[in-house]
Amino acid sequence: MNSLSDLQLDALTEIFNIGAGRAASSLSEIVNDEVRLSVPRVQLYQSSEINADALSLDSPRLGAVKQSFSGPFNADAMLLFTEERAMKIVHDMMGSQVGIEDMAEYEQEAMCELGNIILNACLSSMADMLDLTLDSSLPVYSVGATDAVLRQIILETNQPLILVLHINLSIEKRHLQGYLVFLLSSSSLQKLLSHIDRFISGI
Amino acid sequence: MNSIPAKKEIAFSGEIGGKIAEKIWDSIKSGLILVDSEGKILLWNSWIAQHSGIPAESALNHFLGSLFPDGLAASFKTALRNVLQHKLPIILSNALHRSPLPLYPLPVAHRKQDRMQQSIIITPIVTSEKKRLCLIQVTDATLSIKRERVLKSHSERLSKVAITDALTGAYNRRFFDERFTAEFGRAQRQNIPLSLIMLDVDFFKDYNDRYGHPAGDKALISVVTALKSQLHRPTDVVTRYGGEEFAIILPDSGSEGGQIVAEKLRAAVSGLNIPHGTSSVTDHLTISIGIVSYQPDTSCNATCFLEAADAALYRAKHDGRNCARHLVTPECGKPCPADTPQVDSPD
Repeated sequence: MNSLSDLQLDALTEIFNIGAGRAASSLSEIVNDEVRLSVPRVQLYQSSEINADALSLDSPRLGAVKQSFSGPFNADAMLLFTEERAMKIVHDMMGSQVGIEDMAEYEQEAMCELGNIILNACLSSMADMLDLTLDSSLPVYSVGATDAVLRQIILETNQPLILVLHINLSIEKRHLQGYLVFLLSSSSLQKLLSHIDRFISGI
Repeated sequence: MNSIPAKKEIAFSGEIGGKIAEKIWDSIKSGLILVDSEGKILLWNSWIAQHSGIPAESALNHFLGSLFPDGLAASFKTALRNVLQHKLPIILSNALHRSPLPLYPLPVAHRKQDRMQQSIIITPIVTSEKKRLCLIQVTDATLSIKRERVLKSHSERLSKVAITDALTGAYNRRFFDERFTAEFGRAQRQNIPLSLIMLDVDFFKDYNDRYGHPAGDKALISVVTALKSQLHRPTDVVTRYGGEEFAIILPDSGSEGGQIVAEKLRAAVSGLNIPHGTSSVTDHLTISIGIVSYQPDTSCNATCFLEAADAALYRAKHDGRNCARHLVTPECGKPCPADTPQVDSPD
């Protein structure tokens, strides 16, 4: 099983876009401004295909917010942003209280929260739509050289396939592209897909 | 223990009985609040009691929202609702929320006081009876913000040390190398002028021999102070290139500007009137200066440009010292600077 059917991809895209909508409304509440968030594409990658070019990550450094979740299937969900742009978004979210050069003081926690909002929204939407219960750890933020972060992901999952969501986030005039990466074992992926198939047949 | 029905919800085994658990959460240096799905308070530890000014007796079994006259922040209420509904943990960062709960630094005087900076974590807890509860953990973010500030100022100081010459307080060679590469690259890319000054204290070895090294050190410090006093743009900084040799990068300065600055530097050092009995030029300490100016649209590279500055300095020494000599970047793809000097005479 090296690919998903169009139907399965459509269902996943729909589920995650509902999550994105939830995340956008939470974010809007925090920044008091319109936040738009969408998941234009969901793709299944061979882990060997994952690199900075494939994900068009043109920044030397990558920030990653990770939550491990468990339930009918287990997975690590990681939100990846280029650090530079993520910092600008967080800076905008904070309003003008802090200069961008002082952002480091807040980076860790604020990035955790931004990631937490988006990851929770995607996970909860998946749980609701597929009618299942998921538990999750608290988010952990790490930042490092882009290649090193990606290598680490591939190394840790040790799985041939990686589910990748493309994410577009815009706040006011600022646009940010990110990726939500689901790392699941093949048996967990099978279980996720059987839930998806049940969801599709139930529509 | 039984007087607080709420605590029955939590099961403890073995020796860690309820009493000990109570002591533990009352000893913890952060706030713990446990609420049920309606928002009714089941646990209110000492830390929260102290910082809110509301004792546990007044809080337990009341609704969180009704405890505070100003109510709860909308984002906090949403977070609580989300945790109960989706059973996923939530972070409310200090950066984005500041002070969601009316908690104050000790001693709590109320009202007029500024709220404590907070970081909040809300985690879902499901009891063995499948009841959904929420644990709210509050930590004082003031300390971590202060710690970050201290770390930041330390690292700023260390990076300053890494680029400063310990004796003279001028920037060091490491700084020069980085800045020069960056500025030369910028001049080439944007096709803008750039001048570089290389200068050398005349007969400094003889000065050291005659007056001793401590006096030599003092003289270098005075020279740097004099040089600095003539540079007024923040981009123009003195760097110690080596021994008694100094370099000054003048971004956006063409040959005319570079020569004016050079002459001012020469005059300032000479004006210090530091006696130098063994100088063959005059009776006081002087400097020789080489200036090279980058002409946009020439094919000079950084190495070649640096060599041209050296060549100009050599020319100044050759011409009797205590003077400045100037070169304009030649077209140097292959044959390099020294053989095509365009010597001006500012004196």
